[in-house]
Amino acid sequence: MTTLAKDSMEAVFEGWTSTVGKPTMDSDVRMSTRNVDVHYGDKQAIYGVDLDIGKNEVLAMIGPSGCGKSTFLRTLNRMNDTIDICRITGDIILDGDNIYDKHMDVVNLRARVGMVFQKPNPFPKSIYDNVAYGPKIHGLVTRRAELDEVVETALRKASIWDEVKDRLDQPATGLSGGQQQRLCIARTIAVSPEVILMDEPCSALDPIATARIEELIAELSENYTIAIVTHSMQQAARVSHRTAYFHLGRLIEVGKTDKIFTAPEHKLTEDYITGRFG
Amino acid sequence: MTDQNMNAIERLATVKEERMKAKLGKRYAKEKRFRAYGVASIVIGLCFLAMLLGTIFTAGWSTFYATEIRLTVTYDADAIGVSDLNDESQLMFADWGALVKNAMKERFPYVSGRSDRRAMYSLVSSVAEYDLKDRLEANPELLGTTEEVWLMADDEIDALMKGQVDMSVPENERRISDLQNSLVESLIESGELKKSFNTTFFTNGDSREPEQAGIRGAMLGSFFTLLVTLALSFPIGVAAAIYLEEFAPKNRLTEIIEVNINNLAAVPSIVFGLLGLAVFINVFHLPRSAPVVGGLVLTLMTLPTIIISSRSAIKAVPPSIREAALGLGASKVQMVMHHVLPLAMPGMLTGTIIGMAQALGETAPLLMIGMVAFIADIPSGPLDSATVLPVQIFLWSDLPERAFVAKTSGAIMVLLGFLAAMNLLAVYLRKKFETRW
Repeated sequence: MTTLAKDSMEAVFEGWTSTVGKPTMDSDVRMSTRNVDVHYGDKQAIYGVDLDIGKNEVLAMIGPSGCGKSTFLRTLNRMNDTIDICRITGDIILDGDNIYDKHMDVVNLRARVGMVFQKPNPFPKSIYDNVAYGPKIHGLVTRRAELDEVVETALRKASIWDEVKDRLDQPATGLSGGQQQRLCIARTIAVSPEVILMDEPCSALDPIATARIEELIAELSENYTIAIVTHSMQQAARVSHRTAYFHLGRLIEVGKTDKIFTAPEHKLTEDYITGRFG
Repeated sequence: MTDQNMNAIERLATVKEERMKAKLGKRYAKEKRFRAYGVASIVIGLCFLAMLLGTIFTAGWSTFYATEIRLTVTYDADAIGVSDLNDESQLMFADWGALVKNAMKERFPYVSGRSDRRAMYSLVSSVAEYDLKDRLEANPELLGTTEEVWLMADDEIDALMKGQVDMSVPENERRISDLQNSLVESLIESGELKKSFNTTFFTNGDSREPEQAGIRGAMLGSFFTLLVTLALSFPIGVAAAIYLEEFAPKNRLTEIIEVNINNLAAVPSIVFGLLGLAVFINVFHLPRSAPVVGGLVLTLMTLPTIIISSRSAIKAVPPSIREAALGLGASKVQMVMHHVLPLAMPGMLTGTIIGMAQALGETAPLLMIGMVAFIADIPSGPLDSATVLPVQIFLWSDLPERAFVAKTSGAIMVLLGFLAAMNLLAVYLRKKFETRW
């Protein structure tokens, strides 16, 4: 981080009160967070984030490294539960259910809120088994034919079907990086989630594979709510409807993507998208 | 940057080539030297291995061949003193030795006199008569008939045939008399004496007669012991490793457990033997000398090895696979069972087989629990008294008969064969299940 960024950061946090723009929505809300704090041991990683994600919306989360955007994303399907020292307060509501409620089953939650990771991580099993795994463990299908259909549909939706239909029984690890990532997306949508979280899904891919994933995100947004963390501002500009800018654990600014990238209101947002730091 | 610095670097440029050349020569020399050290140490290691294997093979090779003598045996009911093979009381007083003696007398009618005859009889193993008894009991219709039988030669004759007896020393200083030598020569001439593969070595249990002693008892003892060890240590070790890696909270208690597992791996094995004696035999009253107790003791010994290697195999499974499973909504148990365990299995198996190989070669703790006894019977289960291969080697190495020297080395060869096979299996499994991501 440059001196400049540090100065502007301190200047801003002196009087930081709330997020610029409109983090909440009036209707068609799929997921909403209220006053979410995340601590790793003694260190606070997220400070009081209020944010809504609409139905069939693509929300991009941007910000410099270590700003907490990935941490925030992972709170949305409780992936942070696996980290012992991680503590989360505040409310995260998915379709009216608080996901941190004691009655909320994390297995159910993750079937509703799927996740695609930074590095393609197919299971070292066949392509078919990768996609079939989710429906199988949740008992979503009862017959083999039904499973075949689910697998095919998921692979088609992830626009990878044509490339793999003749080799479904071959190991998924033999696919290229871009194909693996699309397979991971297929695997996620095979359990028919409401929300798909994507944590820098293209950072390990070449530009062509990235373009295909971006196209795919646009197609998927017709049926799913997507929250995507990305380091590429061009990607955020291309794929998202709304953009949220995080800085050192705070949600600085939220708004329509066009507006954020053309007329940011907050100085930090402006500094970041004009490339002065980050 | 100042001018002075620039000058220093410019000055460097003028001498750079020359200095680098000088330095490079030294560097090459150093590398060559280093490689030479490596080669030398490997050569030394191989020399020791060759010496070890060489001595064992030269000493033990002969034990896989045994000398047999063909005799024409008449199953004469009068000579044995048995008229009915089902009559226990007759069998108890039967003179089976008479069968061999009569056959010998018939073969060499010219040998007379008590001591000469005794020397003649001792060409054949003193336990060969029981082979005849077994044959007769298996086929009672043989009683009264005559047949040609290959019988085991005495260990002294065996040694003579293997060139281990120096016939140039005076007769009273060697264990083969001139008469015996001439009898053997006539047997060789007529083809009634042969060297054949020593199946007895693999089918018999231990015996005081070297020519009858075999390692089947020890092999089965080792097998039952390892079976108990494997059946206990693999599931316990893997379950402990999974719990510690995947489920246990990281706190003071688990840290203490971890340190202690590592410490246990370094505890001398005889200590485990003492523990086995004190707990399994004295408290739980399990049978002494039994493979089940040996297996329990060796389980204690192998558990740390298996836990440590299983844990590192689990650690080596990339976290991305765990995240993928959890992200799809798999429960922790499903994640472990469906993904982590299959991927860690080759590593776990390798660790287990190496642990088993260690257990197979272990002697000290088994001495403590009585598996060092002389046991001629072949065990039929883990509760029967038995000994194991390394202990058998230890026992035979202590015996005075010359033939046991070869037996000892022969048993070592068998043990090394099993160890090599187990290690090869470990390598094979690792190669076969290796996953590439």
